[in-house]
Amino acid sequence: MASGLPPGLLNPPRPLSEAEKAAGDDTDAGGLGSVPGTMILVLVFFAAFIAYYFVNWKLLSFLWKIG
Amino acid sequence: MTTAAAKFRVCPTTKLRVHAQADALIKANAVVATVALLIGGLAAILVLLTRWQAVHLLGAEMFYRVLTIHGMNMLIFFILFFEMAVLYFAGPVLLNSRVPAPKIAWTGFVLMVLGTLMVEWTMFTGRADVLFTSYVPLRAHPLFYLGVILFAVGAVLAVCIFFASLVVARRERTYEGSVPLVTFGALTAAIIAAITLVHGAAIYIPTFLWSLDLMPMDAQVYRLVWWGLGHSSQQINVAAMVSVWYLLGALTVGAVVLNEKVSRIAFVLYVLFISMASAHHLLVDPGMGPAWKVWNTSYFMYMAVLASMIHGFTVPGGIEIGMRLRGYTKGLFEWLRRAPWGDPGFSSLIFSIVVFGFVGGITGVTFGTEQINIIAHNTLRIPGHFHATVVSGTAMAFMGVTYYVIPLIFRKKVAFWPLARIQPYLFAGGMLIFSITMTFAGTFGVPRRHWDITFSGAPFTLEFSPAVDLVMGMMALGGLMAALGGGIYILVTVWSVFFGEKMEGGDDGERAAPRAPESASAAV
Repeated sequence: MASGLPPGLLNPPRPLSEAEKAAGDDTDAGGLGSVPGTMILVLVFFAAFIAYYFVNWKLLSFLWKIG
Repeated sequence: MTTAAAKFRVCPTTKLRVHAQADALIKANAVVATVALLIGGLAAILVLLTRWQAVHLLGAEMFYRVLTIHGMNMLIFFILFFEMAVLYFAGPVLLNSRVPAPKIAWTGFVLMVLGTLMVEWTMFTGRADVLFTSYVPLRAHPLFYLGVILFAVGAVLAVCIFFASLVVARRERTYEGSVPLVTFGALTAAIIAAITLVHGAAIYIPTFLWSLDLMPMDAQVYRLVWWGLGHSSQQINVAAMVSVWYLLGALTVGAVVLNEKVSRIAFVLYVLFISMASAHHLLVDPGMGPAWKVWNTSYFMYMAVLASMIHGFTVPGGIEIGMRLRGYTKGLFEWLRRAPWGDPGFSSLIFSIVVFGFVGGITGVTFGTEQINIIAHNTLRIPGHFHATVVSGTAMAFMGVTYYVIPLIFRKKVAFWPLARIQPYLFAGGMLIFSITMTFAGTFGVPRRHWDITFSGAPFTLEFSPAVDLVMGMMALGGLMAALGGGIYILVTVWSVFFGEKMEGGDDGERAAPRAPESASAAV
């Protein structure tokens, strides 16, 4: 595409009806709710968070030895 | 100016009625922001090529001068001019309203430009080699402080115009129901801006007097009050950036808002708790006790972090629901795979969310812990963190929305479209490498704001792990890649705005009273 216009303007997303918005999405992949993909990303985020937090406390423990 | 005489044009794409003054103010602020980005970006390359020990380009004095120029242009001028443009868009434009007092708005803009020029002059002429923080007792030329004060006064005027535009729009019934979420987010950014600018006045006015030898200045008090400005100003960025996330989600893929109340409460959390979070800059300062530090960082700061985590969930969640409702329901990630990755607005949005959250967010919360801060403070880990938040997060989001602002506001097609499509990949990829390697270098103890980590000529020797050379080299390559992405952004925007192909329609200069939109801004 060499139009110089973003796809969101050239071909805007189809507007959702009020009924569609109200109904939402009935996907429920393995108990992950209606946004299963996002839930997986959130779990990856928390895993990264825990790992980085732990590593930093471990590094601190090397510097501040007890006893 | 009466309402009926106000000049509007109807955007043929969004059907929004755009007030001519709002149009002009958005353009003016966006152009100055881009100029500041260019200056700050060139300074960034020079700083980078000096910190890269294999090149070590600049001498000591010039390094600190250029670092000051880089910090002020990127963290203050580029970001705040762009945010003023966001306020004029999220206020008068999204609410189909007019700019309430155009003369005051333009006075604010002129004051901001005047203040910027004064600060630039003092920095470029070597009269303000005090870095972005300008910590006392480092002393700059009085015009440096006066320039910052004028800039802040101009920004306050723009913020007041935004507040007034909400009142006028409500009174003239130019919209129905509650203000759109994007406008609500911009409102929180404006409130934080008001708090921030009060801190700015509280510290820069006495510092200006101190620079004239008219009063003393305590270094610890300076740091305490200054960070009410220095950190809170970055929280204006966060609130504005999140507003842009919601806007880009709606524009690019028709994202829905998962829960309006939850998103609005998250914005309010920013207003309530973010100022206290400024304390994390003072975690190794001797002036405040542990209780003060722990309350402000390990409790209040987490409430602001909670707000970011809520937005970090609701924005991609809204994209996922929007895509699924349009038929992309296969498996866990069809909605993401089939998303418009060739749209620089969309790719910028996703990169902004991911790098801001995964790199900037995780490192920020970790370094905001008092004990861990002891080993991270004043190392390269700190700039590694804030380049992931302010640059990869805020600047990336602002770049993404520019690709929509050019056709919608400037009424021009985006020039060099193939380059524009790859620009977010270059910029975000480069900044990701840059931020992570910078953080790694800091883990090895490499100091921040330091001209020469070999300490050549010093009476003592200090050697870092040999891994530092490799990490710093990778940091430089990532930084240069990001600079290339930034350069493409400037080329595309400047060319589009000044030499770009005009779009048809929407430039009719129609005169009409504003009215509630039929469909347009409902999405945002």
